[in-house]
Amino acid sequence: MGGITVTDLTKIYRVHERDAGLAAALRSLAKRKYREVRAVGGVSFEVGAGEVVGFLGPNGAGKTTTLKMLSGLLHPTSGEARVLGHVPWRREKEYLRQISMVMGNRSQLIWDIPAIDSFLVNQAVYRIPEPQFRQTVKELTELLDLGALLNKQVRSLSLGERMKCELAASLLHRPSVLFLDEPTIGVDVTMQTRIRQFVAEYNRTHGATIILTSHYMADVTALCRRVIVIHHGRILYDGDLNELVERMAPFKLIEIDLEHEPNGLDPGRYGELIRREGQKLVLQVPKAETPAVTARLLAELPVLDLSVEDPPIEEVIDRVFQERAA
Amino acid sequence: MIAAVRTYRVLVSVALANMMQYRAVMLLWAAWGVVAPMVSLAVWTAAARGRSLAGFDRAELAGYFLVTMVVSHLTTAWDMEVFSYEVQSGRLSPRLLRPMLPVFQSAADNIAYKLCTVAVLFPVWLLIGLIVRPSIHLTLERALLLLPAVCLAAALAFVWGYCVALVAFWTTNIRAINQLYWTGMTFLAGRLAPLALLPPALRTLAGYLPFRWMLSFPVELALGRLPAAEIPAGLVWQASWLVAGICAFRLIWAQGIRSYSAVGA
Repeated sequence: MGGITVTDLTKIYRVHERDAGLAAALRSLAKRKYREVRAVGGVSFEVGAGEVVGFLGPNGAGKTTTLKMLSGLLHPTSGEARVLGHVPWRREKEYLRQISMVMGNRSQLIWDIPAIDSFLVNQAVYRIPEPQFRQTVKELTELLDLGALLNKQVRSLSLGERMKCELAASLLHRPSVLFLDEPTIGVDVTMQTRIRQFVAEYNRTHGATIILTSHYMADVTALCRRVIVIHHGRILYDGDLNELVERMAPFKLIEIDLEHEPNGLDPGRYGELIRREGQKLVLQVPKAETPAVTARLLAELPVLDLSVEDPPIEEVIDRVFQERAA
Repeated sequence: MIAAVRTYRVLVSVALANMMQYRAVMLLWAAWGVVAPMVSLAVWTAAARGRSLAGFDRAELAGYFLVTMVVSHLTTAWDMEVFSYEVQSGRLSPRLLRPMLPVFQSAADNIAYKLCTVAVLFPVWLLIGLIVRPSIHLTLERALLLLPAVCLAAALAFVWGYCVALVAFWTTNIRAINQLYWTGMTFLAGRLAPLALLPPALRTLAGYLPFRWMLSFPVELALGRLPAAEIPAGLVWQASWLVAGICAFRLIWAQGIRSYSAVGA
């Protein structure tokens, strides 16, 4: 009852198409050509109550379309979904009172007046009792450092400040399910960290179920243990983030800083050379061979500094897409 | 019920606060509502050349356009002009996520606009009244009936205007449909001229369409041009068109929302 169940959810858009030029424009007056675009093609998954799941995928993968269906904005072409026991696209008030969706590229705040006025509208619309409203605003103001922002005209806030107010406005009614669609888009690194901490805190204190989409991998790694990788409307991977890295990246990156370049240095003897900047080399080495290669590097080369790292998560995800596309 | 009233009080007061940010635009729109009937009055007065026109002498024409100016302002609705933009840009999405139909927010905006502008326009209307010296025969009994007639007309114009706006769920450009609606409002509601001046066929048509009940009926009532027996029937017509409009809204909304593609949001 408390979570999300999605079965074979599909969304197909019908898009009008025509070639360039006047002749094609005239032809399209008489006869329209339509193409069907499968934005989401039969995805199924479950999210338990209180879980935080990251949706990963390139632009146009179907992440946002899936979130829009789960939040009741879109009707699916076929398939089923239950969130908190409700069919989202029936848009029952009881359901809408328990969820929230934050869209990084879309504002729910009234542009020309202070954010606190939008909060009052939400209080009235969600019927939040006065003591609870005051308490929540106080909490959110402390957590998100909103003090100086609430009485400023929304249009005069910076993007990061506005995003904090958006988040606060979305959480006034303490939703049990939160859909975050690119919540940190365009905001600076400090603000991104602040928003991530806040979302994690909200999940901890309220046990809310959260689905997050983001282009910033740091958002996902900081918040989600589980990820769902989606591409061309289909799920490519659903599981533990660390396992994904383990499975898709069975290698490590060894970075060495040399004192000087020895005569006849052949990095290929140790692993695949990924990058070279002066005396700095980055080698890709199979995971199992990493200890042995590290020992050889230290013994055979004049190493000043050495570090072993997992490959960047972006590369791992990219590898998932490439492998599935091949 | 109390909660609904409280919600509405907040929605209207926040909408008022928002409108006050746009004083100049609001006053210009309100001024346009004064200018258009004044031009019509000037044109028809010139056309009458001092004689009576379909039962309207100069003072009665002045009364007609002055009352039209007031009722038209009180019953105006503009959602068909803005809703399509909200659909096409995806700005409707945040409103759809709330446990309240967006139409209620629009109605609150509509009420706020009228509260805000009427306060400014009232002295203007009085001044125009002193200048054009209208003939208006409004008894107390008719004034009491005028109140529900204007409220019903405002609700009718809002609901049917919103139904037209909902066409935006299916088509990208609803300007042509809007134009059709405004043509109806101009000629068949009595905005351009009293319905009595229309050819008989158009007058009959006006009786079967909702436009007359959105403007002309309360104006005729205020001017004392309606036989007493026709007033209750008129109010019933208004109420019937309102019920039909609400039913149409529910049907169109239920279908339209399925087509909403939440672009870019």
